[in-house]
Amino acid sequence: MTPAAPVTVRICHLYPRLLSVAGDRGNLFALTQRCAWRGIGYRVTEADAGDAPDFAQTDLILMHGGQDREMRVAARDLAAKGGPLADAIEAGTVVLAVCAGYQLLGRYYAPVDGPPIEGLGVLDAVAEGGRARFIGHALVECDPGPGGQRHLTGFENHSGRTYLGSGARPLGRMLAGAGNNGEDGTEGARYREVYATYLHGPLLPKNPWLTDHLLTRALAHRYQDFGPLAPLADQAETQAHAASLRLARRPAGRWRVATAAVSRFGRPPAPLAGRAHRHERSLAGKGTAWTSH
Amino acid sequence: MRVVAGRRPAQDRDGSAAARAGARFTLALAAGKEAGTASRMLGTGGGTCFPGTVARRIDPRVLQKAAAASGARKVIVSGSNGKTTTCRMLAALAQASGLLVTQNRSGSNLLHGVTSAAVQGTGLRGRMAAQLLLLEVDEATVRLVAPEVRPEALLVTNLFRDQLDRFGELYSVAGKLAAAISALPASATVVLNGDDPLVASLAPEAAARRLYYGIRAGGSGGQVPEHAADTVRCVRCQHPLSYRAVHLSHLGDYQCPGCGHGRPPLDVAVTAIRPSPGAGAEITVDTRAGTFPLRLPAAGMHEVYNAAAALAGAMTLSPGRPLQPATARDALAGLRPAFGRLEQIQAGSRRVVLAFVKNPASYNATLREVLRQPGRKHVLAAHSNTSVDGEDFAWLWDVDLERLVPRLASLTASGTRAEEVALRFKYGGADPALMRVQPGRADALDAALAATPPGERLHIFAGYTPMRELRGIMQRRGWAPSWEEQ
Repeated sequence: MTPAAPVTVRICHLYPRLLSVAGDRGNLFALTQRCAWRGIGYRVTEADAGDAPDFAQTDLILMHGGQDREMRVAARDLAAKGGPLADAIEAGTVVLAVCAGYQLLGRYYAPVDGPPIEGLGVLDAVAEGGRARFIGHALVECDPGPGGQRHLTGFENHSGRTYLGSGARPLGRMLAGAGNNGEDGTEGARYREVYATYLHGPLLPKNPWLTDHLLTRALAHRYQDFGPLAPLADQAETQAHAASLRLARRPAGRWRVATAAVSRFGRPPAPLAGRAHRHERSLAGKGTAWTSH
Repeated sequence: MRVVAGRRPAQDRDGSAAARAGARFTLALAAGKEAGTASRMLGTGGGTCFPGTVARRIDPRVLQKAAAASGARKVIVSGSNGKTTTCRMLAALAQASGLLVTQNRSGSNLLHGVTSAAVQGTGLRGRMAAQLLLLEVDEATVRLVAPEVRPEALLVTNLFRDQLDRFGELYSVAGKLAAAISALPASATVVLNGDDPLVASLAPEAAARRLYYGIRAGGSGGQVPEHAADTVRCVRCQHPLSYRAVHLSHLGDYQCPGCGHGRPPLDVAVTAIRPSPGAGAEITVDTRAGTFPLRLPAAGMHEVYNAAAALAGAMTLSPGRPLQPATARDALAGLRPAFGRLEQIQAGSRRVVLAFVKNPASYNATLREVLRQPGRKHVLAAHSNTSVDGEDFAWLWDVDLERLVPRLASLTASGTRAEEVALRFKYGGADPALMRVQPGRADALDAALAATPPGERLHIFAGYTPMRELRGIMQRRGWAPSWEEQ
């Protein structure tokens, strides 16, 4: 994708068509742009179902969210290329896995309707579908490495509940939002260089420190003597991170969407206001096929 | 004094129950109408769904009764994109063939908004003056509205991924539409976009007559759906679809190499599309009722689909006098753009072009249209998190803003999510020196106009709430007519 540069990160975007909902590709833009701005080369391989990417020649793998139907197709395909992927993960290849991608790296995901979907099992985690859906701005406190404790801000939208086993540790602790299961206050999972999360959409653009951490680890995976990344002017990123943090910290931020709609209901002009209201009602509905991620 | 104990005769009791039910209906109609007048007088925004709320509280079956009592034909238009414009076009075509039309307001397309329209179009004696009750209905609400209205025709424009935090997934919305279609009687007609793989295959076993529309003209698009495309896998066997032609996102002439499932034969087919001198487009549409050469006031593939949908919808009306091609042409050519649909406003020495964008598909279609005109673009992009617009703007990252960025002259980011908008443009490659963040709508408009040299255009891309706010500011400054007047 980019002319050969002395230093190049090899990125594999896994299932870019099957697993890509609501802005997930923002993560890819963040990785490639922050390379480009520093004069670091990058190569992006898009691997969909049926493709056989060389994971041994990959430094960073991206796997995003998807609807149940697409997730099943990806799971079938993953059964075929799972061995080399698991080997690469054991060898320290960096992985960012989001929503369905997160669940596919765990042992299984059991949706509310339909048979369970088997995962790769590299993460000691299981996921189950739930009737209610966790939707809202989220704030996570995490400690991904030498950078120290940092805030991760984003948006979660999932009905799956993940429970970690002893072989995986959480990515962080929830300061606002539901996280893995809405019960134990954890969010995401860490194993070797795997970073798994339920925060979907453009997570990396708003959290440039995580982007740079992933790039640093990916470069360290390929080049033994790679030094620290050059700093960038992150004014827009800082502003967006702060704005997202404010949204997550709003009083009762999580349910503001639904309650605002209910209080507005019937009051003009509210052309679309009933949607969130209806959505809240549908949480209690039976047999609704929500997405897995 | 004698106390008379006893019961009234049964027949009498039933009669009075019917009378009470009738009185309740009349009261609901009267209260709904009063509520509409009151909210208009108080200036609370035109009273779009308040009358329906009031009327339904008094009589929950008011919509059902009004629809049943009216002699009008009932048509529901639903789908992700193009509902409003399709309804405007269909209303114009119906009026051109001599029908009196009652419609709900654009955007008021949930149960209460639809009820408002029915209440306001119904006299206190329960009769509807209109011969066509045309309803734009939110795609997830159709299953609630259709059983009450019992439409003679249900039209589905397309299904695109919308904001996930409000809508759940595409397939669950499709399932709700399919349930509504399955419940239609054999005498009803379902009008479907044949070019949308998911829409064309909704409820294949349904009793209703099916009418497909689409584009048969070649060479209007590539063969690979763009990023925002939603349904690119076969709905039957999950194999990736192959396209002979892609016209807009995932809409086109498709076939599944796996199981052979493909686009159904089109009953209403656009066979030629030519840009017309000035603005707009000339299209030719083949139908069973003859060939229609139409002139569209606005260009763009989405407008072509809207026109084909409206013409297909008009085929289900069977008015007293059949729709003539010349009448249809005049009806569509004379339409003004709907709210925020590339409406042009003269702002002093600069011209403002408004574009209401709500999802990647509508945004990409608008960008394609704007970039057709040469030159660099001054842009005001505004998004807000409100209960109307949704909380999550992740979909902004699915818009192909990379097409716009190389031709960006200036960008003002606004709305309560101004920072996220600016970040999206930065990662799309925009030079930070060309961008400014101005969350306040009036300040943003001033800044954006100041960045636009006199004589040039300012393009506004905005979600529903900031668009209303920005248009309101321009209205108060005397640049734009009131939206209600249009």
